[in-house]
Parts: sequence; structure tokens; C-alpha cells
Amino acid sequence: MNADPVPLLRCRGVSKYFGALAAVKSLSFDVAAGEALGIGGPNGAGKTTLFEVISGLNPADEGSIELEGAAIERVAPATVCHRGIARTFQFNAGFDTLSVRENVLVSAHFGRRNRAWPGLAHDRATGELADRALELVGMTERAGHMVRDLPVFHRKLLMMASAMATEPRLLLMDEPVGGLNPGEIDRMMEIVLGLREQGVTIILIEHVMRFLVQLSDRVLIMHHGESIYEGSPRGLTRDARVIEVYLGEGMAKRLRDAMAGGDGGG
Amino acid sequence: MSGWKRDLPIGLVVLAALIAAPAFGLPRFWITTVTVFFIWATVVSQWNLVFGVAGIFSLAQMAIFAIGGYTTAMMGLYLEWSLWLALPVSGLLAVVFGAVVGLACLRLTGAYVALLTLAIAYILFLLIVTDTDCVYYEGTVCRSLTEGWKGLGRYGDYGFRDLFGRDFHLGNYGLALAVLTLATLFSFAIVRSPMGLAFRALRDNPGYAVSRGVSRFKYQLLVFALSAFFTGLAGSVYAGVFSVIGPNVLQLGLLLFLLSMMVVGGVGRPWGPLIGAALLMLVDETLKEEAFAGYRNIGLGLILAAVVVLLPQGLAGGIDNLARRLARRGGGAPGE
Ligand SMILES: Nc1ncnc2c1ncn2[C@@H]1O[C@H](COP(=O)(O)OP(=O)(O)OP(=O)(O)O)[C@@H](O)[C@H]1O
Ligand SMILES: [Mg+2]
Repeated sequence: MNADPVPLLRCRGVSKYFGALAAVKSLSFDVAAGEALGIGGPNGAGKTTLFEVISGLNPADEGSIELEGAAIERVAPATVCHRGIARTFQFNAGFDTLSVRENVLVSAHFGRRNRAWPGLAHDRATGELADRALELVGMTERAGHMVRDLPVFHRKLLMMASAMATEPRLLLMDEPVGGLNPGEIDRMMEIVLGLREQGVTIILIEHVMRFLVQLSDRVLIMHHGESIYEGSPRGLTRDARVIEVYLGEGMAKRLRDAMAGGDGGG
Repeated sequence: MSGWKRDLPIGLVVLAALIAAPAFGLPRFWITTVTVFFIWATVVSQWNLVFGVAGIFSLAQMAIFAIGGYTTAMMGLYLEWSLWLALPVSGLLAVVFGAVVGLACLRLTGAYVALLTLAIAYILFLLIVTDTDCVYYEGTVCRSLTEGWKGLGRYGDYGFRDLFGRDFHLGNYGLALAVLTLATLFSFAIVRSPMGLAFRALRDNPGYAVSRGVSRFKYQLLVFALSAFFTGLAGSVYAGVFSVIGPNVLQLGLLLFLLSMMVVGGVGRPWGPLIGAALLMLVDETLKEEAFAGYRNIGLGLILAAVVVLLPQGLAGGIDNLARRLARRGGGAPGE
């Protein structure tokens, strides 16, 4: 994984404060191109805040963030999107009064590069990109539905399709299976595995450990804004600190057993 | 783009009927009234882009209109320009003014935009009515730049009196109809373009839109500037039609009358402004009659309240829903 001297994403000493609270505290890590980094940690650990900071919606107070060597920590969120970072949100975001296809079209038309003049119609390639993104998550049939009327699972799928329609180099997913049932989680897992095969670089936040462990090459656990573990998914289940503040003995054992069985049920 | 397939034929039929109406003996009084309808419908159709499509609660639209009207009047009066030359200049100055208002509103949301834009309109109103410094004397009469309360007059017209003699009102009717037609086409084209998509995305969820590459700065400025052009032209046409323009165009009552048109027609609906303006003008003219004396404002208020309660998406929304239901019952595909 260290073949590439310049990682796709490099964070150094990144901090974000809300008043006296350090939501993210001098965090440093790299993500190599093609890699999947999983981020876990208890509620309020600062995971979502880290995404806010990387995507430019809520800029960092300290530290540097580089995408392929270019600083992005002071770049506006729309530009971060153009540079190639797309994100899904923990709380289902969408354009409620737009149709499913229009939602994805916004990304396909505006998300890939800055358009000096937006034009009077989108071109054919943009339309096809939007259609492919919907196909990717299996929502072609719902293209004409109003987003307001969608159930939770489809909103999550749509967010994913919208993110992919910006043709990102780095995809940030914030709890893509939070609140879903096991069948839906399996479906989402297939989709993310498909993305991994395409070589999309991923950072994934998730509380559902079997999802996190199965999809990540490497795992980072946050606690009070700091990294308390960075390493293999396997090592996670034996780390005393992680077991103490996050997993608990029971969950750690179940994960160990599942991994030993070659399958991550749990 | 299936929307055009429905809207273009409807638009052409309405346009043909409006062009033919005077030839079929529409009385002079109604020709003048419909001309005023054209002007207000133009204003509301552009306001709808900002207020309905982009979801920005701007109340600056009549200030932009006044900029257009006063520009035309002053160019006619002080530079002795033909109003035809002043017309596009008024539109462009309105765009500049609109963009400045948009810039001022950039960091605000919701009700604060309404407050700031209302304040801007009120300042413009005060600047005009307190303008008493003499810029020149006519005999012993002091003339100020805007003539304050009195308003500006004697700057000429669009030349229809010379052209058509006592049928000059037909020229005004034609000009106002032409501007409304272009303004309507413009607003439909914008709503259905990627720009319209950006405006609606920012309206629904600005944070999310920004993270999908839509620049709030750019598109908020753009919607203010674009919607100002035909608003400025409408102000210019108004000045030419009435041969006088005063600060009364900035009064709250008129602003609320136009806002009601948008709400009754259907906020954010492409046909809403036309339907709302037509209905409220009609009701207003009817209630002006001697028999209904005193019921004018109550009547308009009742209609507004009824629509808000019974048809929250306005008449255009109600018609859409009805059409969809009929199509479904008829077994036809529920068209978009
Ligand atoms: N905009 C904000 N203003 C003030 N405090 C905030 C803000 N956003 C987050 N916080 C605080 O920062 C801390 C980290 O929050 P964050 O949402 O990043 O946690 P998280 O790891 O994503 O948690 P969860 O697993 O519950 O989603 C929390 O204590 C939270 O209350
Ligand atoms: Mg979170």
C-alpha cells in the first residue's frame, strides 16, 4: 500500500473546535488511492465533524488537508466537490421537491467541474452519467419519483448515486447503513464492494461493525476527537483500549469469531 | 423536456387570443386594464423566479421595477432620449441594481432577506419623496431630480400617439404583451435549464447543494440579476404607458397585491403568475364597481385566504393535480 509516495488524501494535525470542545483533535492519517479506510468510535467521537472539515462545509481550525498534494483545507465546499471528493450524509440529505433523477442530475451537471456558464440544457453525457449512477444503486425505476416520498433505504441509495454522479476520486460515506434492516445492509454492502472493485477510494464511517470490518482495508477508531487505534480490522478486535471505550468484550469476541470463520456476521 | 409539449401549445393559443381580442371589439377600457395586467404579470413572472423557484424571500421586486421606470422617465426628460432607446438601458440598470440587492442578501436567509429587501425598497421610497433640492427652475418653479411625491411626467411616450392617433392604446397593449411574452418564455426556459435545477436545489437544501458542486454565491446573484431584466423593462413600459411615474409604485399595498397574485397563482409554478395576476386583476376590477364599494380589500383578502387554506399550491397546482387525477381515471399515463 505504500507504493505511491503521495497519498490521495493526507491529513496532518487537523483540529476542529466548538467553543472549548475539541471535536477533532490533531488528527493525522493518510489514505492511499484505491484504499478503503473505515472510521469507527463512540457517539460524539468527532467522526462526522471530520467529514465536515474534509468536505469544506465546516473548515478546520488547525492542520493541513491535501488531496494529491494540493491543499484543500481552505477551499469552498463546491470546489472540494469539483476537485473530486464526494460525500454522503449521516442524516438523509436530498432535494425534497425534485425528482430522483433531477437529484442525480444536479451532481452530474454541477459536481464534476466548475461551470462558468451553466448552459440552457444539460448535454447527453451528463444525462447518461446520471442514469448510470441510478442504475448502480438499482433505482432506475424510481427515477421519476419525488424524493420527499422516498423511504429511508432509497434515500440512502439516492445519496450514494448522487455522490457517484460527481465522478469522485474519494468517496466519504457517513453511516451508509445506519437504521437499515439486515437485508438492506447486505444490499448496500454489495454496492460498496462493487465500488471498491471499480477502484474508488473510500472513507467509511459506520457503527455496524460487520459492515465496517468487511469493507475496510484499514480501520481508524476515534474517541474524543483523537485517534486511539489505526491498523488492520483484525487487530481492532484485540486492542484493549478499543474494547474498553467502544466495542466491549462481547462484541470483540463475536467479531473475532466471525473473522476466524471467514465471514463477518454479527 | 416534455413540459414544453404541453406548455407551448397552451401559450400559443393564449397569445393568439390576446392578439385577436382588440380586433373582436374588446372595449377601450378593458384594453387599458389588460395592458396593466400584462405589466403586473411580467413583474410577478420574474419575481416567481426569485421567490418561488429559488426560494429567496425577496421583496425588492417593485424597487427594481421603479429603477426601470425612473430610468426611462429621466432619460426621456433630461437626455431627451427616445423611450425605445431608454427601454433596454432601463432593463440593464435594473439588472445591476438587482445584482447589488442579491449581493447584499447573500449572507442572509429566510425572513431576514424579506426584511432587508423591504428596507431597501423603503429607502428608495424615502429618497424619492424627500427629494426637494432644485436641480433647475422652470420660470420660478423649482424642479427636483425625481419631483418627489408628484413623480415625473412630460418625458414623452413610446410614440404610439403619433403612429396610431387616438388608437394609441393599442400600441401600448402590443408593447406590454410583447414584453410579457418574452418574459414568460424567459422564465420557462430558466426554470427548465440547469440553472433552474441549481436554483431549486439551493432552495430545497443549500448545504447539500453546495456539497454537490452548486455555488450558492453564483446562483443567488444570477437569479437576482436575471429576474431583474424583465422587471426593469416592465417598469419602463409602465412609465411609457402612463406618461407619469411616481413613488406610489413603491407602496406596500401594491407590493402585497402582486405577492397575492403569486400566491393565488401558485408559488414556484411556471403558469402561476399569469393565472394569479389574471384572476386578481379581474376580481379587483369587479370589486371597484360602485355596487361593491368598500368590499375591494376584503374581497381580495378572502380570496387570498381561501387559496392559502384550500389550495396551498395555488390555482396552477390545483389544476395540475386535477389534470393528473383525470388522466389516471381515463387510464392515460400520468404525464409529467
Ligand atoms: N455544529 C456544532 N456545534 C457545536 N458542537 C458540535 C457541532 N457539531 C458537532 N458538535 C459536537 O462535536 C462532537 C462530535 O460530534 P460528531 O457529530 O462529529 O460525532 P460523531 O462521531 O459523528 O457521532 P455519531 O456517531 O453520534 O454520529 C459532539 O460532542 C457534538 O456534540
Ligand atoms: Mg456522526
